[in-house]
Amino acid sequence: MHIPDGYLGPQTYAVLDVAMIPIWAVAASRVKKTLKAKQVPLMALGAAFSFVIMMFNVPVIGGSTGHAVGATLIAIILGPWAACISVSIALVIQALLFGDGGITAIGANVFNMAFVMPFVGYYLFRLIAGDSPTTRRTIVASGIAAYVSIVAGSIFAGVEFGLQPLLAHTAAGRPLYAPYPLSVAVPTMAVEHLLFFGWVEALATVGIVSALVKQDSEMLAMRPAAKPLRWLWAAFGILVLLTPIGVLAPGTAWGEWGAAELGARLGFVPAGLGDLGSAWTAAVPGYAPAFIKSPTLGYLFAAVLGSALVIGVSWAVAKLLARGENSRPPKDARPPTSPTTPS
Amino acid sequence: MTATPEYVLAGVRHEYRSGSAALAGIDLTIESGEHVVIAGANGSGKSTLLKMLDGLVFPSAGTITAFGRTLTEDALEEPAFRREFRSRVGFVFQDADVQLFCNTAFDELAFGPLQLGLAEQAVRERIASVAEQLRITPILDRAPYTLSGGEKKRVAIASVLTMQPHVLLLDEPTNALDPRSQVWLLDVLSEWKQAGNTVVIATHDLSIAAESADRMIVLSEEHGVCADGTPGDVLSQRDLLLSVNLIHEHAHRHGGAAHEHPHGHGELHTHA
Amino acid sequence: MPALAHIAEPRRTTRRRSLARRTADAVGHAVTEVLDNDEIASRPGLMQKLDARVKLATILLFAVAASFAHSLWVLLGFVALASGLAAASRLSVVSFSRKVWASAGFFALLLSLPAATAWITPGEVLVAFGPLSITKPGLYIAVRLVARVAAGAGIGLLVVWTTRWTDLLHALTALHVPDLVVATLAMTQKQIVTLLRTVENTHLARESRMLTAGSAAENRGWVTERMAFVARKSMKTADDVYDAMLARGYAGAMPSLVRLRTTTRDWAWLVASTLTCAALLGADKVVFSR
Repeated sequence: MHIPDGYLGPQTYAVLDVAMIPIWAVAASRVKKTLKAKQVPLMALGAAFSFVIMMFNVPVIGGSTGHAVGATLIAIILGPWAACISVSIALVIQALLFGDGGITAIGANVFNMAFVMPFVGYYLFRLIAGDSPTTRRTIVASGIAAYVSIVAGSIFAGVEFGLQPLLAHTAAGRPLYAPYPLSVAVPTMAVEHLLFFGWVEALATVGIVSALVKQDSEMLAMRPAAKPLRWLWAAFGILVLLTPIGVLAPGTAWGEWGAAELGARLGFVPAGLGDLGSAWTAAVPGYAPAFIKSPTLGYLFAAVLGSALVIGVSWAVAKLLARGENSRPPKDARPPTSPTTPS
Repeated sequence: MTATPEYVLAGVRHEYRSGSAALAGIDLTIESGEHVVIAGANGSGKSTLLKMLDGLVFPSAGTITAFGRTLTEDALEEPAFRREFRSRVGFVFQDADVQLFCNTAFDELAFGPLQLGLAEQAVRERIASVAEQLRITPILDRAPYTLSGGEKKRVAIASVLTMQPHVLLLDEPTNALDPRSQVWLLDVLSEWKQAGNTVVIATHDLSIAAESADRMIVLSEEHGVCADGTPGDVLSQRDLLLSVNLIHEHAHRHGGAAHEHPHGHGELHTHA
Repeated sequence: MPALAHIAEPRRTTRRRSLARRTADAVGHAVTEVLDNDEIASRPGLMQKLDARVKLATILLFAVAASFAHSLWVLLGFVALASGLAAASRLSVVSFSRKVWASAGFFALLLSLPAATAWITPGEVLVAFGPLSITKPGLYIAVRLVARVAAGAGIGLLVVWTTRWTDLLHALTALHVPDLVVATLAMTQKQIVTLLRTVENTHLARESRMLTAGSAAENRGWVTERMAFVARKSMKTADDVYDAMLARGYAGAMPSLVRLRTTTRDWAWLVASTLTCAALLGADKVVFSR
């Protein structure tokens, strides 16, 4: 996912370069508060580890291999802010010394891989793993979190690419930087990661977490004491309440036209679209349930229903995992291991 | 007449995170100017003991006193005591790589004095004199990871010496040193003896004890002190040394004759 | 490199190198690149004599300037400029160019090839492979993308090859980058080399023990177990280094005694680079029609 120079125009790369400065500042102060004087060696080792992880070839299937980023793994071990700094340093060194990733694009790459990935991965991990998870739950949670986090990062990268033709083009409309429109960039990046790189990331993370749990489970308890996630639910609730803003936007989202609207725009309806368009009748068409007349309330209803479904499914998955563990005999206390420091 | 002893350990115990013992009930006094070798097999606890003398590890039970003051984590958080303690005690780690964490060798030598708050001019003077003493002036601008093993060790020792410590703690100093460097190290140790420094060395290399120490303490595999006396006395207790795994019975050939006798590696011996 | 010295150059076979060997080679190459730098950085060339801060500023200047250029010729001009400077700095132009186009080339080519097709960039068709056709404007866009990547990579690699890492870090301190950041970067660099050496050795050890290729799952199990080992080693090393820092009085600050001096040559360089970039961008405005 390392974006080279030349794909992002100055409007994009400058914004992301500048945006990282406050993010790094906050990360630095958080890390200083939790790790204190030990931050220098820990961040250096975290960064070195992140760099090395990105060099490993992870076998996927047959003879194919891929590279993992490892941002979620590091976030699980050190916490998201420390992971942000570690992965950022690794990416900067890769860009400067190895030409892996552009120099002007450093801000974008760091944003996607050292900010979006660790934070999405960390909070998803905590949501699925719960408060004191068993081994199996930890491992499964880490895999899912890693998968989703890299897909999320790739979508951001796709958006960054896809915006270029809109932001910078010649009078004739030719794009000056990355030439792929959003409709191509975002799905391509997403599918690439959904089908392949997401699995590399998940398999690598699951493998490492399993081995860590077997070798030394104390490593996974290293992150700063997790605060309760109530604020996350509060933020989520606020977002749900804000969904009716969609009422203000006229027209339909780009690319989401139905057959009738497409017909009006193009003058004809592609044959396949006409047939398939009527194959599925949504339960709540147009986010407006039939029995609610006000569009605002309709949006709210759809938002609540949709969120409830997504959360419900995640919660059910988590509960199934937990129940699977409860039916097994409890794990014995770990036998004393050999001393970690030789004398 | 009796000066305050440098270190007093009373009933010191230490446990690893997993619960197993690292040190079991150590009672020990070290006077200023002594050259002590703490010998023991791997796992006996000598590194832990050394780290305790440097305030990097604290006892789970018992007390350790340094220069008349009890060493605790809180005590070392006080800036004044920390500066005083850190400048008085220098630790040379077993693995030089761990100890060299700065950009260049020059920065390594500057790190300690800068932490102590010395002015730039004073720091540069100290660096110049120590670099010359250890003959590392030509490599001061190099990054430590580009240096050879012997050079790294010199830089590691130099980085401790710029703090002008009175007590020097060395953890397995002859490990990974080629023979010439080992001889050089013994020379350095005798210089320090002449200068009146207190030196404590943790090692399983018995030749150091024979060559340069006034006192030898042996740690058993049960993590307690089982011998404490002059090197001559202690080294003559063959059975004891055998029982703590510091020497072993070994049959070998010399020329045409086969014989067996107990010995430790690192000891040069000749046969008639 | 000690770790690789005893391994003879493998015969060129059509059989794919094993996973362990490929990783070991990549890792060894990375370590060599990082270490080899000292030799190149000591040659009596043009770039080597410049102050590290000035060189860092130059990277930024050229990278940003290249991002504003849209004419293929101007971008190739940037690359040619970097190659010329490489020659003046006693670098082998051949290996320099190869490195620049390699780091730009493969990945960038892959990313930009679809842009050359009619699907993305409709226009006058140059060549058609059945349903897929390459268009003239598409090809221009694709080639320009690759050229822009090379333009940025060129000056970056040039500075990095001609500057000791230690000097780069001193330059950052002199530019008022926080001490802790610089200290962390220094330590990271060193730890990367150490970890890479370990990784290389374990991969070579596996290579020497494996008779057959092993299944993907098996290899993956081994790779992830190794990565976990590296993770634990990293944390243990962090603990040890922290102890070593404490033992020398560390309390959270990392002051440094850095004194860099700039000469007239450095200022002349800055002025010349700025003027050159301005000239190139001016040419770009003339040559490239928007």
